[in-house]
Amino acid sequence: MSGPAQVSLSRLEEIVGGAQVDAGAEAAAAREVCGVRPAVVVSPENAGQIAEILRFAAEEKLAVIPTGGCTKLGIGSPPTRYDIALDLSRMNRVLAYDPHDLTLGVEPGVRIVDLLATLAVKKQFLPLAVPFADRATVGGIVAANSSSPLRHASGAVRDFCLGMEFVTGEGKQAKSGGRVVKNVTGYDLHKLLVGSLGTLAVITRVNFRTFPLPPAQGMFVASFSSAEVAFEYCRAISHSVLMPQIVEVADPSAARFLFSGEAAASIAPAEWRVIVSAAGPPAVVDRSSRELGRMASASKAVGFVSVREAEESAIFVGLREFPRRVLEFAPGAAIFRIGVLPTTTPSLLNGLSEIAKRHGIALATLTRASGILYAAFLPQEVSRVTPNPLPGTVAEVFRACNQPETQASAMLEWCPTDLKTSPDAVWGPSRPDFALMRRVKNSFDPQNVLAPGRFAGGI
Amino acid sequence: MQPQLIRELEGLLGSQAVLSSPVDLMLYEYDGSVDLGSPQCIVFPTTTREVSEIVRLANRYETPIVGRGAGTGLSGGAIARNGGLVIAFSRMNRILEIDAPNLRAVVQPGVVNLDLSRAVDSLGLFFAPDPSSQKACTIGGNASENSGGPHTLAYGVTSNHVTGLELVLPDGEIVRIGGKNIESSGYDLRGLLIGSEGTMALVTEITVRLMRKPEAVKTLLAVYDTLDDTSESVVAITVRAITPAACEMLDGFTLRAVEDYVHAGFPKDCAAVLLIEVEGLLEAVEAQAAEITEVCTQFRAREVRAARSEQERALLWRGRKEAFGAMGRISPMYYVQDGVIPRTRLPETLRRIEEISLKYDLKIGNIFHAGDGNLHPLILFDERDREQFARVVAAGGEIMRHCVDVGGALTGEHGIGMEKNELMPLIFTPDDLALMERVRAAFNPDGRLNPGKVLPMGKACGEIRVPRTPASAAIST
Repeated sequence: MSGPAQVSLSRLEEIVGGAQVDAGAEAAAAREVCGVRPAVVVSPENAGQIAEILRFAAEEKLAVIPTGGCTKLGIGSPPTRYDIALDLSRMNRVLAYDPHDLTLGVEPGVRIVDLLATLAVKKQFLPLAVPFADRATVGGIVAANSSSPLRHASGAVRDFCLGMEFVTGEGKQAKSGGRVVKNVTGYDLHKLLVGSLGTLAVITRVNFRTFPLPPAQGMFVASFSSAEVAFEYCRAISHSVLMPQIVEVADPSAARFLFSGEAAASIAPAEWRVIVSAAGPPAVVDRSSRELGRMASASKAVGFVSVREAEESAIFVGLREFPRRVLEFAPGAAIFRIGVLPTTTPSLLNGLSEIAKRHGIALATLTRASGILYAAFLPQEVSRVTPNPLPGTVAEVFRACNQPETQASAMLEWCPTDLKTSPDAVWGPSRPDFALMRRVKNSFDPQNVLAPGRFAGGI
Repeated sequence: MQPQLIRELEGLLGSQAVLSSPVDLMLYEYDGSVDLGSPQCIVFPTTTREVSEIVRLANRYETPIVGRGAGTGLSGGAIARNGGLVIAFSRMNRILEIDAPNLRAVVQPGVVNLDLSRAVDSLGLFFAPDPSSQKACTIGGNASENSGGPHTLAYGVTSNHVTGLELVLPDGEIVRIGGKNIESSGYDLRGLLIGSEGTMALVTEITVRLMRKPEAVKTLLAVYDTLDDTSESVVAITVRAITPAACEMLDGFTLRAVEDYVHAGFPKDCAAVLLIEVEGLLEAVEAQAAEITEVCTQFRAREVRAARSEQERALLWRGRKEAFGAMGRISPMYYVQDGVIPRTRLPETLRRIEEISLKYDLKIGNIFHAGDGNLHPLILFDERDREQFARVVAAGGEIMRHCVDVGGALTGEHGIGMEKNELMPLIFTPDDLALMERVRAAFNPDGRLNPGKVLPMGKACGEIRVPRTPASAAIST
């Protein structure tokens, strides 16, 4: 195999200590990105070490990719170069938590599961119900802008992240934003890092505002005979005075990834389901329950159930882990993450379903009413006779999303590496603002040290 | 400025859309604060295409360009610091689309903030950012400054409500970023550009989120005999994780000026009041209002009352939103600050401001967004008194340093502009600032778009700049 560039291990060992430099095959395999393996895995413990490593990499023209729980390394285009994997798992401290101010500062290697447990002690949370929740770290969640069903009521990372500290591709430590809940001091550079897949800087600290846990909550599942009526129900909810925490629409094929046990047994195969959760004082949950039920009958629901507590958390985990469960079931699946509008979603879903049928491929979709649609194309048994239907499917999906009347913004979040033939195959057709993005990249990482080639437009 | 440029601009836009007489220019030399700068020419484009052509033309003459909405800004963002051309967006004031089913609106930058909420009111919708100047300020200005307002405590600032922008870059290129969707692939350029204070691009179209009006709103007025009890109540509300839609504090000094002006029913003999609003489902509003009343009473509020009618509520808010204007009745000028502190540090911070007020023998009123720790100390002064003005600047600097010392920020919503740019090193290292400069240069390489703003221009670390005192403009009437 044509290996990566020769890396001087001794210099890295000087920076982080010998025990924190691993040139073994196993460590490299665990941090493989789209089939590309690093020569060495280095585990720094602070921003100063990261800065030194990046300066060294710039001098030696080496490429670096930051990693945490290694749950999302499959996202993005294959890197054009990849020599050093930064393993940030040692940087896993909560640096500041002021529950009385509802603010928090953490290192990137903190696992979200641990952080949520810390917050729960103070009856608080972050609305980051993201896939791979047992292993995912804060840095990775921010860098991949992982999608959470809780966005509906509480916003996404860009909305509740107060500031960050980071090391640029030049090995300079920098920061933007701050620790207070309202702040327009200086440019919001940290917003650029959300979803940047480690291509601009290595995140070393993230400050968040935290949220109080609601005193009560309830989950409801309404069933419908078609997408149109299911989305009519969502519209009715969004135009009502109710303020639910979660509103998600699962197509009939998505059910198997969301429901198990009793819930699965009671599910009719051809139904669309809208999963709604309400939170707040008990009186709010009670009223939401009544009104959601009433609206469901008005929208011709074929069923409406209030989910029992035990099942509620199982369904919540299903919603959270949807892409992961699809990948576990079908490792060769292609999962799009699509920014959508309520009015155009039903017709887009129809279009996607026709594409799937044309290519003889199964489709499972989960739509977050906040405006994110997961469309998972599940290949059948690989056949040596018929050609792989996925490349054609992918191209058609991007075309369907880019119709002017649809205005959907798609990226292929998960798929086998062999589909990633060009940046456009992952990120969609290039847009005029990609040129601006390249200029932004150059100002953070002029020597292209960080994750070269992994991002939109070939960045 | 070359007369030839003005002639070419007139040729492009018509003479009705170009101002260059000394009297006209004077009207555009200031904003809502104390800074000044004289442009040589003001133009009033009506289309994005025109904006792009103006920019290309100005580039040929290497003229600085500054975008301007209603000029209500409080940090000099719209002031032509280095002279040049002001592009005023007041004639690009059309609401282009109201997409109620998708809860979006597309507007030109000159649309007045409150006009958008009014336009969608009958649909049961509103635009959430609500700066006190919302009757006059424009959405283009809100986007450039990332404006806040009282209700951003619950709803977030402008950045949380913009999904798409159309831009004219400093080279004249027209680019769209984002759209109606909540996300699109690639770097979040809209997150960078909103709040970039007009130093990276001119915003020519904005797609915003609309919010559904809540079922119930309850406005509470809690009246206190000491400032400490007032600020301790705010801390307790935050600690107990009660999340009102707004939580504003007005101290007694400010209150008396406001009451004489607005007659909102504020008690004139108290130390401070909290104006707290809770919104949402009826049941949630009742539960929260009860909790807030309990907390305020526990901290010795003399009285906690709820507005009984929409008129009473509107009057209380008018008192809050016109408070800055009311100060004009008791002082020729004021200098308003915008520091932010962690909310738990509010009591000590208000005590510190009181000490500073005594130390410099200045009247300082406090009227601010207590719920998110965003202070607005108003330092009163008379611009004819140079010696007093030097004390104003020193007192302002001390308040700012206190905010930084307790882990806060220089500005919560007014922006850095040309007012606080030399204070940036209090928060940011040279490396932080160098990176910000490079990112700005990625958009604005020649620095001709809104020069002299946001980043320090190379003075000593932490030096407080003494603004030129206005000669002609009265800002507080």
